[in-house]
Amino acid sequence: MSSEGEVVIRARHLAKAYKLYDSQGDWLKQQLLGSVKTYYKSFWALKDISFDVRRGDSVGIIGRNGCGKSTLLQIVCGMTRPTKGEIWVKGRVAPVLALGATFDLEATGLENVLIGGAVLGLKRHEIIAKFDSIADFAGIGDFMDQPIKLYSTGMRTRLAFAICAHMNAEILIVDEALSVGDAAFQQKCIDWIDNFRRTGTLLFVSHSTAELQRLCTFAIWIDGGRIREGGDVAQVVGAYKKATRVEEDSMSRFSAV
Amino acid sequence: MTKLVERRPSDLPLLHVIDGKEVVPGDHNLLQRFVRFLLEPFTGAWHHRALIGAILRRELRERFSGSVAGWVWAIVAPLISLVTYTLVFGGAVKLPNGSPANSAMDYALFVFGGLIAFNFFAEMAYRAPSLLHEYAHYLKQTMFPAQMLPVISTLRAATYATIGLTLMLICQLIFGGTLYWTVLLLPLWFIPFLAFLIGITWLLSAMGAFTRDTAYLMMTLAPVLMFATPVFWSHETLEPTWRLVWYANILTGFIEIIRDIVVFGEIPNGLVVAWTLFLSAVTFWLGFWFFRRQQDGITDVI
Repeated sequence: MSSEGEVVIRARHLAKAYKLYDSQGDWLKQQLLGSVKTYYKSFWALKDISFDVRRGDSVGIIGRNGCGKSTLLQIVCGMTRPTKGEIWVKGRVAPVLALGATFDLEATGLENVLIGGAVLGLKRHEIIAKFDSIADFAGIGDFMDQPIKLYSTGMRTRLAFAICAHMNAEILIVDEALSVGDAAFQQKCIDWIDNFRRTGTLLFVSHSTAELQRLCTFAIWIDGGRIREGGDVAQVVGAYKKATRVEEDSMSRFSAV
Repeated sequence: MTKLVERRPSDLPLLHVIDGKEVVPGDHNLLQRFVRFLLEPFTGAWHHRALIGAILRRELRERFSGSVAGWVWAIVAPLISLVTYTLVFGGAVKLPNGSPANSAMDYALFVFGGLIAFNFFAEMAYRAPSLLHEYAHYLKQTMFPAQMLPVISTLRAATYATIGLTLMLICQLIFGGTLYWTVLLLPLWFIPFLAFLIGITWLLSAMGAFTRDTAYLMMTLAPVLMFATPVFWSHETLEPTWRLVWYANILTGFIEIIRDIVVFGEIPNGLVVAWTLFLSAVTFWLGFWFFRRQQDGITDVI
């Protein structure tokens, strides 16, 4: 990507292999005899990804299901490590991945705010200081004191986004999550992201090309674990749209090679 | 591609991984790496202290306020077992180590001390294999430090053990009339015991993430282990040559030490203490090493 500002995310030839075992016995054999023989098949979710993201950039990531988008985001967040290649990320990352999926269903909204904030690296007193603001942003009223299992999907999304919005993150990662909330809340989130973009860096994954063009200046199109096209958002989205009209949806994309 | 980035004095969190290995600045020779490895469990726990506190608080609240009677259960359960042992073994005149029993309570306390240690171990052994599965939603979707989960669950179980220990001391005070000064050594017993259990939990939970067999293995082993551990008797009743074999079981050392300092009021045997400390340190860092080695695979398979 090209703009001023220092690089905050640098990826060089990233590749990620998942080890597929036929049986659990094979896993045990691999642990014991791994230096002699390999007992697993590798599935390369990412094959060769290189890019730079600079402070203040908004980068959209598009690609069809199973192309490696989520794996890439997990690597950027540090949830999983690349098998090959280099990843370098500087700054506090707040991943709004699959909003609300991380909640502990038995715990109340308040407890989940405390845990969620701690996972993202905030101290207890910092979270407590922000608690009113979070509750206000989520706008779910008295449900804050109820267990999450009583929440509707939309309420979970609201709470999850509210937590991430208060983390003082330098890098925000949003993964096709906003589609769950109602129109008013979506607008609130988009407005918030717009505001965030002035100071922070955004990685945005969505299947909605309109949203992508609205929020991002650059885009990366991932296909089969490689970057198929990268650069200006309008140009990449255009190429992507054109290609999806031509290429049919075949299941062979998911076969392990 | 492998050009290293110069270290910045910034306090910003930094993620830097090359070919699956984390790059830590200023990390050159083997000794430095070894020292960093030894310190890592502690620096990690300190770094994540807010998270450990948040989850621990929530787990305890769930455990004790999920029921109507709450904390009462945590006290009643060990109390009932203590009463049962007093009634069942109350007739014993001699303690298994040969010294005469002062009261019916003596043998009960003798057994109770062993049980606290063994139950603590058993709880971890049963829970550890499924521990990472329980928290799968955190591990897969957030930047959760998985290596801290065994620490959290051990600390949680430690609160029950503490309740048991307190009860034991109270009974000792009421029925024995006095507490030995050696009771002050209890923290020195507790810390290595925690380290040993955290190590075991690291090992078992990492294995359990990959195969459910670990859970079945522990369910089969733990009851057997109870009889290989001097919970109801003292290994001093055994022939001297056999005694040494029992020390291979690290629990033997721990149980013997807690009996010495609480029930008998004696300074534990130095050799036993040294051996037990050595075994717990080995378990602690071996468990941590194994967990770290498997960690990347864990998030991929859970």
